[in-house]
Amino acid sequence: MSQWLANVIDRASSVNDWLSPVRQEALTRLKSTSWPTRRTEEWRYTSLHALANLTLNEATNSKALAEAPVVSNLNSIDIVFVDGVPATDLTALNLPAGLTIHSLANASEAIQQQASKVFNQVKPDAHLFGLVNDALALQGVFINVAAGVQLEQPIRVVNLVSAGIESHNRVLVNLGANAQATIIEHGAGQGNSMNTAFAEYVIGTEAKLEHYRFALHGEEAIHIGGCHFKMGESSRLNSTIVGYGSQISRIDTDVVHAAEHALAKMNCIYLLGPKEHFDLHSLIEHVVPNGTTEQNARGIVGDKARAVFSGRILIHRDAQKTLAELHNRNLLMSRGAQISTTPALEIYADDVQCAHGATIAEIAEEDLYYLQARGISRKQALIMLNFGFIQELVSQMPNKALAAWLEPLLRERFATMESE
Amino acid sequence: MLSIKNLHASIEGKEILKGLNLNVKPGEVHAIMGPNGAGKSTLGYVLSGREEYEATSGKVEFEQRDLLELEVDERARAGLFLAFQYPVEIPGVSNMEFLKESVSAARKERGQEQLTAAEFLKAARAACEQVNLPVEFLRRGVNEGFSGGEKKRNEIMQMIMLEPTLCILDESDSGLDIDALKVVADGVNSQRDGKRSFIVITHYQRLLDFIQPDFVHILADGKIAKSGGPELAKEVEASGYAWLENHEEANA
Ligand SMILES: Nc1ncnc2c1ncn2[C@@H]1O[C@H](COP(=O)(O)OP(=O)(O)OP(=O)(O)O)[C@@H](O)[C@H]1O
Ligand SMILES: [Mg+2]
Repeated sequence: MSQWLANVIDRASSVNDWLSPVRQEALTRLKSTSWPTRRTEEWRYTSLHALANLTLNEATNSKALAEAPVVSNLNSIDIVFVDGVPATDLTALNLPAGLTIHSLANASEAIQQQASKVFNQVKPDAHLFGLVNDALALQGVFINVAAGVQLEQPIRVVNLVSAGIESHNRVLVNLGANAQATIIEHGAGQGNSMNTAFAEYVIGTEAKLEHYRFALHGEEAIHIGGCHFKMGESSRLNSTIVGYGSQISRIDTDVVHAAEHALAKMNCIYLLGPKEHFDLHSLIEHVVPNGTTEQNARGIVGDKARAVFSGRILIHRDAQKTLAELHNRNLLMSRGAQISTTPALEIYADDVQCAHGATIAEIAEEDLYYLQARGISRKQALIMLNFGFIQELVSQMPNKALAAWLEPLLRERFATMESE
Repeated sequence: MLSIKNLHASIEGKEILKGLNLNVKPGEVHAIMGPNGAGKSTLGYVLSGREEYEATSGKVEFEQRDLLELEVDERARAGLFLAFQYPVEIPGVSNMEFLKESVSAARKERGQEQLTAAEFLKAARAACEQVNLPVEFLRRGVNEGFSGGEKKRNEIMQMIMLEPTLCILDESDSGLDIDALKVVADGVNSQRDGKRSFIVITHYQRLLDFIQPDFVHILADGKIAKSGGPELAKEVEASGYAWLENHEEANA
């Protein structure tokens, strides 16, 4: 056990709220979990060394200035947390009919009951930091979209973190049958913060969820989190994760096809600079027949950065007629950059259609020379040659306002990445 | 315009250019001929600034600037254009996007106003027509799936669009049928305005029937072995390079 984890257990033991019974379970598990090392499969390429002896403060009250990032034409309902502390008065939000948003910290008994149907019902309990989040996330939101309600306005949960502070928060979402919603989890902040953020989604029968998760933390941050989805019958999920990489940035995204005819489209983009580290773990389980999964993770890794992609699609024996594709494409910009990719299909059914693969490309110097020989700067030529496959995923984002906001950010980031 | 003095250049530590001298004045057309492996393409690459081709000594002045100090793209924007012997295919980038970026970079460098989308399209169509390439080619990836001859014509098309001051054509005639050869030659001739200069690398007199050179040089073993007028190309056509050995012995 690390000093950091010992502190977590210590702090969590004194927590007393309506979630205490679940928190206790998590604590019990935590106490018997050993601190991951390079020999722990799930953490093989991501060192937790920087965290092991870290002691940061917890924020006590919310900062006065808590601005959600401005995205033109997004017109979202924003819920802002600063260092885990709510900065938005949820009771003052003007919400459309059929949508309720409640704080986990002071949930009424009725809300507690609803939220319990999501809390820990989707997230697998094997994840060490998921357990930490179970034990310590005193703050968070429960979002409920009533059956048949189709929300036009996106809901955005913004998690801002700042230097020297540790924080934990949770997002729980229940999407009723035939409901439709767009939910954006936006994480950002500079400095040596530590944050865990886990989100659980229960997607009802024939419901449609458009999901975004942005992990745009600075290079000193430690951010560990996950988004976990349970698919109802004939439901649709379209998820896009964008990661910048940090000192440690780790996201687990898991999907369970719990009922038939669901469709999950999962895209992930990462652009990593100097020494940034980004680790995406994904497990998609087909338990029942007739499900479809299409996953595309694409990244550009420059300088001395490192990307880890571990993608598994697990097709159980009964999950006949599953369609599953899993692709990971990478561009290495420099000799010092690294990518560890393991896309895996585990198939126990015999009537399925699956494809998977990973590619790692390097800069084509000959192509670069040709463009430069026509007067195009190296920087611009790099963008023309290499940004296309990232751009493709950005343009697949259904929300055009978000895509228009993200594209120049990624371009700019790419333009400053070291290629030698 | 271009002055090359005692240029030595190596690739992977192997010396290819061994003291090359050449002077090109505005408006002149110089033909360079010479046996396979003599270093003709190497000269083009070194002038364009290709990384693996290292100039180890000598001086190259281009329009009053030290050419060897400039990056590849800076040289191009300074007005140097190399039509490649083997142009690469870049499937991920459309010809249109590529041309737009390069024309825009050239115009910016020259302090000219940018073309509007309509003006650009008009110019690109005209250039395509001039080299007999279907306009649809603009939408394809750069040289993607182009035949050998189409690639060569695409190079000339780019030259027409970019309006460089010095054009180096590396075997722009090889692999062309006789009609395409005329198209390429006409393309080049249309750009001869008395100021723009050309270095035409070729193995064949037939191109020089269409593009009249002012000077012909024979490049052999990394040096200019002989220079003369258009008649020198005819000599080469008639008797090959066997005489070079005698010449080198005589020099030794
Ligand atoms: N990338 C390279 N690596 C190693 N050697 C090279 C490379 N490029 C060129 N050379 C060598 O340099 C010499 C000159 O080549 P270059 O292409 O300049 O000849 P050339 O005169 O253009 O010949 P050709 O008439 O066949 O086009 C040759 O011996 C060639 O093998
Ligand atoms: Mg050659």
